[in-house]
Amino acid sequence: MISRRDLMKWGAVVPALVGGSARAMAAVPEGLDALVVDSRHAPGVIANPGGVRVLRFDGDVTQLWFETLDPLWRKPGFVLGGITGRDALFVLETLSWDRGRRVVSRKDMPGRSGRMDGPISWVIAPVHPSVKKG
Amino acid sequence: MAVLPPDLDAANFARFLEELRGAVGADWVWSSEDDLGPYRDSFSPVWNQAEERHASAAVAPADVEQVQAIVRIAGRYKVPLFPISTGKNFGYGGPSPNVTGSVVLDLKRMNRVLEVDDKRHFALVEPGVSYFDLYRHIKDKGLKVMIDCPDPGWGSPIGNSLERGIGYTMPQFRDHFGASCGMEVVLPNGEVMRTGMGALPGSQSWQEYKYGFGPDPSGLFAQGNFGIVTKMGFRLMPLPEYYRTGLITVPRRRDFVKLVEHVNYLSDSSLIGEAVYGSPLAALMGDKAFYALATRQGGPSDAEMDAAASKAGLPSWQVDLQFFGPEAATRENWEYAKQRILADIPGAKAIDGDHFPLPATEEQLLNTTQPYKTGIRRYGALGVPSLGIWRIVSGNGHVGFFPVLPRSGEAVFEMQRAMCDGLREFPLAGRFFNATTAPLYWHSYAFQMVFAPSVKHDDPALNAEVHAAMKKAVAVAAEHGWGDYRAAPIYQDDVADTYSFNNHALRRFHEQLKDAIDPDGIVAPGRGGIWPRRFRK
Repeated sequence: MISRRDLMKWGAVVPALVGGSARAMAAVPEGLDALVVDSRHAPGVIANPGGVRVLRFDGDVTQLWFETLDPLWRKPGFVLGGITGRDALFVLETLSWDRGRRVVSRKDMPGRSGRMDGPISWVIAPVHPSVKKG
Repeated sequence: MAVLPPDLDAANFARFLEELRGAVGADWVWSSEDDLGPYRDSFSPVWNQAEERHASAAVAPADVEQVQAIVRIAGRYKVPLFPISTGKNFGYGGPSPNVTGSVVLDLKRMNRVLEVDDKRHFALVEPGVSYFDLYRHIKDKGLKVMIDCPDPGWGSPIGNSLERGIGYTMPQFRDHFGASCGMEVVLPNGEVMRTGMGALPGSQSWQEYKYGFGPDPSGLFAQGNFGIVTKMGFRLMPLPEYYRTGLITVPRRRDFVKLVEHVNYLSDSSLIGEAVYGSPLAALMGDKAFYALATRQGGPSDAEMDAAASKAGLPSWQVDLQFFGPEAATRENWEYAKQRILADIPGAKAIDGDHFPLPATEEQLLNTTQPYKTGIRRYGALGVPSLGIWRIVSGNGHVGFFPVLPRSGEAVFEMQRAMCDGLREFPLAGRFFNATTAPLYWHSYAFQMVFAPSVKHDDPALNAEVHAAMKKAVAVAAEHGWGDYRAAPIYQDDVADTYSFNNHALRRFHEQLKDAIDPDGIVAPGRGGIWPRRFRK
């Protein structure tokens, strides 16, 4: 299982990265292996915050998933954070189920209008014994 | 929401789950609410309503022997199983079962590409193989075949073809069940059966001659509940050397009748791939006066629509044509199509489109080089799986009603009018059925139209309207001889009920078969509107 402590850390850190917060970048916890950034919603994230690999896409997750995530998700481990539109999260969450993973943290973020219709920050982590590390 | 299988108490359900764990391993049986979340239909218009169907558990076998063991255990406890391949049948129920309390038999672990032959042009796969998996296998091995995949491409060839799903290339491959050849099935008694040449020990032509000898039961397993398909063969198109597109426009509304006849000829002669029809006048639907005209009770006259087209400087209809084959053949076929249509329809115009050798580059797949606005989604058209279509899905997805109609312009006009009038009480319907609505040419020898309104989990009033509109759409279409081709479990009885010739002789025949093969309803009772005796009480 993912620990509650990790969940709280990831849930707080991932959205803070959107604004390029130095404090958030310094606080990226160990175990978050990469951060998916949907350029439509979060253009401001700098490269490799806190040493975490950033994977960008423009709303169509096909290439990202086919070239990068699918091969990684077939192996144990790999905790993925993300700031994406709901459509992209729906696709990635659905695909993650096939590989023993779940969205373990999910947080709505304010949209440009200030209303809660913006992107979602999330963490997808391995939960099934076949893909959990150790 | 914890549920139990029909007629089973908690103690026996616990014993049943324990037996499943013994058969497949404890890690591959799920029954907690959290674990069953992925087996809900996230596109459901009855989300969180009493009508929503819930699984009681899910089990994922690793091989055919484990499928047999699960079926036998389920038979002893009389627990319905609901087999899914990858569970991506969104818009048609996703992975959710017909009967609440069913156990989802998730075949995702059976994911081997068993064979791809690029000299004899076929593949043999297991149910957990997705179109992406098959595409990756072909690409990695450099095989000279092209798949025909739906859009999005995350489903499985077996699941999609058993739902009679479609693709976007040449006619003989677009009908995915039609392009299947040979299957292995675990029957409701746990026995393994192979169809066609697969029934002949030592045969090497299982994926080349689908019939074998005697009756071919393979059709019973599509949208049916007579067994669990564990292997299936598919014919593949040899990778074409070249791809070419061209656009034909016609000026007047009534020109569509002749246009369709010409395109039917080109398609049935195997000269073109999927023809993508459209009406440039759809761009005017944002104008209130035009919207009112295009959705008017009884439909607009040809003269009124022609006047609107003339005023806007737009043709009434267009069709995107696609050609596959050697470069010279694609060029000559396009020249022939142009000559044939332009000589017969006054005012028709042709525009040369893109053309290039295959496989396509990424830029060509993105379709940025077409010299006109096109309705072709290039990934699907060239057999490359994609997830990009999800960018256009709003809310929490949509439901889908796709009535089948004849391939004629008159039938298109009649469906536009009848469905628009019949669904007038639902304001959302006008966007789907109006005088600019074009037919889909997905299936090889029939047209369809689309009614796919969006749903939202947090808007039960909208969902209720969509649900009511779906039921009404099925009924209105049936009054005119149009039937849905595929439906979510919550609509399957409604749709099956419309196929009622001779006092429902077809359904009664299916029920007789079901009673003989699976009287307790171990395999997907209710699927396709077929209920065994146990559930007909």
